[in-house]
Amino acid sequence: MDVNQASNQSNQEKVTTIEFSGKSGEFFGIWIVNILLSIITLGIYSAWATVRTKSYFYGNTKIDGHAFSYLAKPLQILKGRLLAIAFFVVYSIIANFYPLAGIGLAIVLLFLTPWLIIQSLRFSNRMTSYRNVRFDFHGTYGQAFITFILLPILGVLTAYLAMPWVVKKMNQYVLSNTSYGDQQLTTFIETKEYYLAVLYSILVTIVGVGAIAAIIFLATGIASMTALSAISGITGVLLFASYFILMSLINAVYTVKIRNHMFNNTEFENLAKFRSTMTLVPYATLVLTNLLAIVFTLGLAYPWTAIRSSRYAASCTQVKLHENADSVVDTMGEQKSAFGDEAADVFDVGVSAF
Amino acid sequence: MQQLFTGTYYFPANSQAESAEVRVNGDTLNLYYQQQCILATNLSLVSVSSAIPGVAQELSFTDGGKFVIGNTQHRLQLGSGALSAEALEKNKKLIFSAIFLVPLLLWFSIAIALPKLAAGSVKYLPDSVAEQMGRQTFYALQKTILEPSELDTPLREQTITQWQQALDELGLSRKKFQLHVFKSDYFGANAFALPNGTVVITDQLLILLKDKPNAVLAILLHEIGHVEHQHSLRMVAQSVSSSVAIAVIFGDLEGFGEVLIGTGSTLLQNAFSREMESEADQFALNNLVKLGKPPQAFAEAMQSFVQPIDGSSEEHDTDNKSIFRYLSTHPDINERIHAAEQFQPAN
Repeated sequence: MDVNQASNQSNQEKVTTIEFSGKSGEFFGIWIVNILLSIITLGIYSAWATVRTKSYFYGNTKIDGHAFSYLAKPLQILKGRLLAIAFFVVYSIIANFYPLAGIGLAIVLLFLTPWLIIQSLRFSNRMTSYRNVRFDFHGTYGQAFITFILLPILGVLTAYLAMPWVVKKMNQYVLSNTSYGDQQLTTFIETKEYYLAVLYSILVTIVGVGAIAAIIFLATGIASMTALSAISGITGVLLFASYFILMSLINAVYTVKIRNHMFNNTEFENLAKFRSTMTLVPYATLVLTNLLAIVFTLGLAYPWTAIRSSRYAASCTQVKLHENADSVVDTMGEQKSAFGDEAADVFDVGVSAF
Repeated sequence: MQQLFTGTYYFPANSQAESAEVRVNGDTLNLYYQQQCILATNLSLVSVSSAIPGVAQELSFTDGGKFVIGNTQHRLQLGSGALSAEALEKNKKLIFSAIFLVPLLLWFSIAIALPKLAAGSVKYLPDSVAEQMGRQTFYALQKTILEPSELDTPLREQTITQWQQALDELGLSRKKFQLHVFKSDYFGANAFALPNGTVVITDQLLILLKDKPNAVLAILLHEIGHVEHQHSLRMVAQSVSSSVAIAVIFGDLEGFGEVLIGTGSTLLQNAFSREMESEADQFALNNLVKLGKPPQAFAEAMQSFVQPIDGSSEEHDTDNKSIFRYLSTHPDINERIHAAEQFQPAN
């Protein structure tokens, strides 16, 4: 069911778009200077760089005139990073130097993964605040183990036929365990939409590959089909280009459909409803031009691509705010000092639902 | 000096927000809401967010309340003249220099500093590491892509005997550098040595160099040159350390990091292996001379990869494939042939 069409009580609602005010030039300076400082300090400054970059994007994203805040402290990130590096080094050494012991370690990692996913979601949610109220994540290990380990195995065993359903379960797990203050996120996403998204992607793939094959056929000419090995450099470049265009298009078909579906069917009851209006061609063009810009500037265009991606995403997202928006209670204020979530603070691994 | 800011006050522990004003006088901060002072505190108790270009500064109070300055350019002056990160991030000259400095420093650290560090540190690894790594890899290979040799026993034994004699003459351990002959469709005509000294040569390579025992010897010496210089261990140390460096530097910049890891590390790994190949070549050439064999035997071995001896056209095809595989990891074959032909022993 589409929550935007669901009947509301007589409460006042106001529709606002998400406003993103980041600027490419400004962010370029932050980005390049932070990389320079990270290299000079042998990586230590990278924790500060992460916080500053996140703060820049959060602080420039506003709903109803209020910006998001990123609350993590650089030292927390640094601690987490040192731990993650130590783990990675030990893992690599064992996997490379003792290939057989590496198999045992992979099994340990399999059981560790759900825990890591939960910690990272918890960390990133708790470090995000809006109107001085924080987000949180409540997922349990058991659910995470089923969702991120057992179901994907099942998906593979069914020759990937169950995979769209598995991906839906993953998104559902992340969304339905998210909360903002004392408000729980509710989601009504449907399996059918995931199968449709995959079906459309497959159709685009078939049509696209057919089109590329036709282009090659025409380019080389029927008469010279035997001299296929003599395909000129230009045809090769065209082939390469059409491959990237096709890949961006396939990716866009899936992403646009799923993002719109997730936003349109997820809500904070009596607080906020969302609407996503992404469309195929603009999104595919965005992804493709970003890729080209990064490749042709040897990475220097990254800040520009990040800013325009965020601006585009914001422009495609509306929020219907309930009048209760200023009476959400932050449930974490007391909890934080009481429990001091050390473990959650330590891991800074990114798993994102969107 | 008095500082005055207008902005938004967020009440503690809920989402209520109102326009407010903050006045800072010396060490005292006063918060005004609807013309009334609702909070007075010492500045030292206020947590002030780090200034970032284009981001509004936030003042957090001990009770959980928060004031966000309305103008994203305005900053609370705390008096200390310390160099702020924001000043650096807005410094045009620094930004411009960083565009050149960053690629240069990245190249220096990943192509020069880290390999040096890796080469230096693997010397301190205990021998048991190389021993275990070699043994376990050998076991895994036997279970997967190595098949029993189909060559005639005399040819195989002759190769092994010749190898052992060479080892004795060079004062190298027979036990460490054990030679095994296997058939492998995966490797094709190839030879390799594992970190613990186990040497493997394929049926296909022995057939290719049937009448050239010196060329076989040259290739085997080249392979144990990799072992003596701890190349596998160095490769692992380098790839682990550069992954960490890239992950740390670009950790939060997913898109960019991926591009760099995708293209950069493959190029770099080829650069590593080129340097290592020439080290192993030197080892082989020096030892060929010690054995009283012509260093040209090495050139001969390389040559046979470039111009495979003619056989049936069918065999020719498969040979070609394996040679391409060999070449992709052993670049500049002509250069190496030339180097071998011109080789002058050091003493």
